[in-house]
This record gives sequence, C-alpha cells and structure tokens, in this order.
Amino acid sequence: MASSNKKISKRDTGKLLNEWSQEFAVFVPSRETGVATMAKWDGKDTSFLDWHRNTVIPPKANFLPAMEEMFNFQRDKEGYHIELPPQDKHKQLIFGIRPCDAKALAILDMTFSDSYQDPYYLSKRKNAVLVGVGCTKAYDSCFCTSLGISPAESTDVDLMLTDIGDEFLIEAITEAGKKLISRSRGLAEANEADETRAKASKEAAYQKVTRQLDTDNIKQRLLANLENKDYWEKIAAKCLSCGVCTFLCPTCYCFDINDELVKQQGARFRSWDSCAFPVYTEMPMENPRVEKWRRVRQRVYHKYEFYPMSFDVTACTGCGRCIRLCPVNWDITQALNNLPAKV
Amino acid sequence: MTITDISHRRKFLAQGNVYLPHIVIIEKIIDETPGVRTFHFNFKDEKLREEFSFESGQFGEYSVLGIGEAPFCISSSPTRRDHLEFALQRVGKVTNALHRLGVGAEIGFRGPYGNGVPLDLLQGKNLVFVGGGIGLAPLRSLIWNVIDNRDKYENIDIIYGARSPSDLCFKYDLDAWNKDKAVNMVTTVDKGDENWTGKVGFVPQVLEQAAPSAQNAVAIVCGPPIMIRFTFPVLEKLGFTPEQMITTLEKRMKCGIGKCGRCNIGNLYVCRDGPVFSYAQIKGFISKEY
Repeated sequence: MASSNKKISKRDTGKLLNEWSQEFAVFVPSRETGVATMAKWDGKDTSFLDWHRNTVIPPKANFLPAMEEMFNFQRDKEGYHIELPPQDKHKQLIFGIRPCDAKALAILDMTFSDSYQDPYYLSKRKNAVLVGVGCTKAYDSCFCTSLGISPAESTDVDLMLTDIGDEFLIEAITEAGKKLISRSRGLAEANEADETRAKASKEAAYQKVTRQLDTDNIKQRLLANLENKDYWEKIAAKCLSCGVCTFLCPTCYCFDINDELVKQQGARFRSWDSCAFPVYTEMPMENPRVEKWRRVRQRVYHKYEFYPMSFDVTACTGCGRCIRLCPVNWDITQALNNLPAKV
Repeated sequence: MTITDISHRRKFLAQGNVYLPHIVIIEKIIDETPGVRTFHFNFKDEKLREEFSFESGQFGEYSVLGIGEAPFCISSSPTRRDHLEFALQRVGKVTNALHRLGVGAEIGFRGPYGNGVPLDLLQGKNLVFVGGGIGLAPLRSLIWNVIDNRDKYENIDIIYGARSPSDLCFKYDLDAWNKDKAVNMVTTVDKGDENWTGKVGFVPQVLEQAAPSAQNAVAIVCGPPIMIRFTFPVLEKLGFTPEQMITTLEKRMKCGIGKCGRCNIGNLYVCRDGPVFSYAQIKGFISKEY
C-alpha cells in the first residue's frame, strides 16, 4: 500500500533545490561565513544534507536580521522625505530548519503580530516556505523533548523531511506544502517500508535527546522564587553578560532602534539587543536592572513565566544553543531544575 | 471599584508601516526650568492634523531624524486641540538634540501609544493628583481634561513638588490651578530658596499632611520612580486601596508597541499594557523594578 507521502533520494535533493530556486530564494545550512547559519544556497554544495543538528545562528535571522534598515530619509528645502528600503521580491524557502527552530518562529509570530503588526518581520514570514529536516543526532545541550517538541517531527513547517537512509521521506504539513509537492518534479511515492523506516528514524532521534528539563509546575515554582535574591545571585555569578545566549536564541526577539546620518541623508536601523546588557534598560535617572542577577532572572522569567502569561506558550524550544554556546557554560536547565522548592 | 483591567489589550488598526514617523512641526518652545522645555507641535500633513486623536496618558515616539527616537507623553489635553505638546528634560542624546531645535523645525512623531487614563472610571470621583518634577507632564494633560469637563468629577486635589523652586514645571498651570477655586492646590519643594514662601518637604510627606480622604477617591500619581515608590505607602495609610491608585510609568520604550522587549514589568509591557497602571496591577511584581 502506498502512503500519501513522497520521498526523494539524497543524491537528487540538489536537483530539487535547483528546481525550487527558480521560484524561491533558497536558504540552506551553511558554514560559508565561518559560523553555521541559514545562507543563500550556492546551487552546488549539498554537504549540509549530512548535517545532523541545528545551526549556530538560528533561522530567526532570516526574518529578524541582526541588523535591518527600517527606512531612510533625506532632507531638502521642503523638509524630510522618508522612504522604505527596497524589498526583496523573492520568497524565501528555508531548507533544513529543525523542529525546535520552526517552533521558535511560530512563537515569534505571536509577538510580531500581537496588537500592532510588525511589517518587517511579517512580510518576510508570510512569504516564506519552511522545509523542515528532522535531526538524526542531538547535542548534549539539546532538551527539546522536555518542551513537547520532537527533534524529527514538526507541525510548524510546510514540508517535513525525515532521513530514512539514502533518502528523505517527505510529508506535506500545510496546504502550501501540498501545493509545493504537487508541482515539484522527481519525487517518488513513499511505500510502507519507507514509512516504517521513517517511524524508526523519528523514534531513534527522540531517544538521542537525553537532557531533561523539569517542567512540572514550573510557573508556580518560578513565581515562588521571584524575590529569591540569594538563589538568583548564586545562579548569575558566573554570567559574563555577553549576550550570546540571547542573540543566538531562536525565540529572543529584543531589538534596539538607532539612526545614522551622513550629511543630509540618513537611515534608521534596528538591531538585535539583549536583556543581558545593563544599557538595555538604562534610563536617564534610573536603571531597573543594573544588578546582573536581575538581568539573568529576567531572561529566565521572560521565557518560562511572562511569555506563557501573555501567549500561553513557553518561549523556549530546548534548542540548547544558550547552553552549548555560552562561554562559561551557564546552563538554563540547571538553573530551573535546581529551583528551591521552598523559599 | 476596580481598575485592574485598564490595560486590557486592544486590537490596533494601525495603517501601513507602524514604525514610519509622521513629520510634525515645532510651533512654540517654552522654557519650563533650566533643563526642561515644552514643545508645541502640529502635524505637517493637514489630514492628520484633523484626524489625529489621543487620550490623556498616552505617549508618542519623537525623533530627531538621524539622531534617534525617544518616548514622551503627550502633555497637552485632548480637550484643547489646536496643537499638541510634549515636555522633556535635557539628559541624553535625543533630548539634547531636541533642545537644540528651534521653532519651525521638523521632527518625527509616532503614536499615540499606550492605554491612556480610564476617564470613565474617574467620573463622579474625588480626584487626587500627586506629581513630582517633570512627572506633571502626563498629569497636566489629565488635569486640564478634567477641568474642561468639571461637572463630571467631584473634588480636585493637586499635590505637586519639585527639587527646588526653579525646578517647578508648568508654572503657568500651577498659577491657574492656584487661582481656580474648584481646585485644591498644594505646591512644595524639597529645598526652598530666599524667595520661596511656599511649602518645603518631599511630596509623600506633604501628601500625608494634606491627607486627602480616600472616600470615593482615586489618586493619580506620576513622578520620579523614587517618589512613586514612597507615595504608594502614604496613600495606603490614608485608606486608598491599590485599585484606587493609578500611576503612569516610564521605561526605556524603544518601539512603543510591545515588540522590542525592554520595558517589561513582569509580563506587562509598559508601552503595550500601560503606561497607565493601577497599583493593584504592579504591586506584586518585581517590587524593585518599577
């Protein structure tokens, strides 16, 4: 019995991407800039098909770039003239996004479409197609399964690919995904044996995530420790306030807005910002988070207490970057698992 | 009475790109104190001039293009609409740039943002305004709003203080309210000078002495964080419940619309859910961070 899913050999995946490149700006995992990120595909290199896990820079950067021009302006006799930067007409297709990072985009969507629409993020997001690829290995720092995410399954993508040896099983998750499949050439029908292999592959991936975050009553436990200064001071002691955990977090979205001016021409930019920096909350007369423990606490509470209060979802997907890439091995799972039960 | 839901989230129908500033023109500049100026301004676009509306307590993002953007409340009253006003102290990059501008200069404006003061909950009440320094800016929008609809409200008490006589802002308003028989006005300074004949003392202490009744009253408090912090306990002592205390807060609000992240108090964003809060809403959360 044939399943409704498709498959493609890894050898032919490059062809498929080439075909998609006619319609989309295709982004794939790449180390071309020295750091693993989602970069524009060069049309040749397919080495990323052998990658097992998420990139260093999360795909949020494709929608909320580290730095982005908001508008530019000129001044003449009549006053100021404000113009939007030219928009990239190409739709993005992100190939190889992992379930944790796809979920993170779904979480970011809530902030950027709440009340006021954020035109920069949403215009890129609405035009994008996400092709997920399941993880086949996990980092020691990965803990997605504790947050209800499977490393090889996702409903936050349009297409989901599962590694079944020399081939990928392709599942259409959304209508857009179905349409993309129906107009793509070179896809074979998946059979029952493929489905069985995919199931085994997903289960194996799930078992590879070993780190556990204790999420039982986490909101209540956090609330009870809100004013537990001793605990947060101890936890924050080794933090360098470098901000890497937030910059590379797939759900962190804080940004700063700054202007640049050369002669009568200028532009306004936004750029990633971080609650790890004292200047982030600095005001002329006062700064509510001068002390480091308050900033560390803010990051933890924002993800596990405040964001759930606003949007009913934890703003963490267990991607593990903030643990793995921290220069002093600060560990959010440790911070949460060791929360004192009684204060 | 409950005003804990004053920051209910609304659906906004901002048209187009919400980050693009409108150009407004400075029409008049008033020196309030050595470091504080009030700017009267109006939209360059005729249509916006007609259509723009706001509520007391709401704020805008003002920018000197090329220098940067900063949030300030609209300090004029929606009942007086031939122009808009904002007041600011010269402290940083943007405020210094704004202070260098003259009449006729064009600046960027986005807004109005935030929730405004819930006027419907103030109607029929005794109102106690407690202000400090430039914190009078959002209060004066509300005070004029109330005075212009005087029959809708009961007694009006205003307790306002500044560090020194020269730091008192909006002296023309203080004079007008002093003369207004329907307003009980107390002005105080932390430290007087040779010409000062009025009260000397910190705002919370003077409030305690003035002891306005909590009966059928709402207190609206705005000033430096330290003043707000010391004012709430005094109001509680006078019998005000947390629901009877309203404040408007200030944070480093960059985007103004709940996206950029930095202005939170617990799960509330000052820009999105405030800047007007009841004390009941914020008292439980991170006591030192507001």
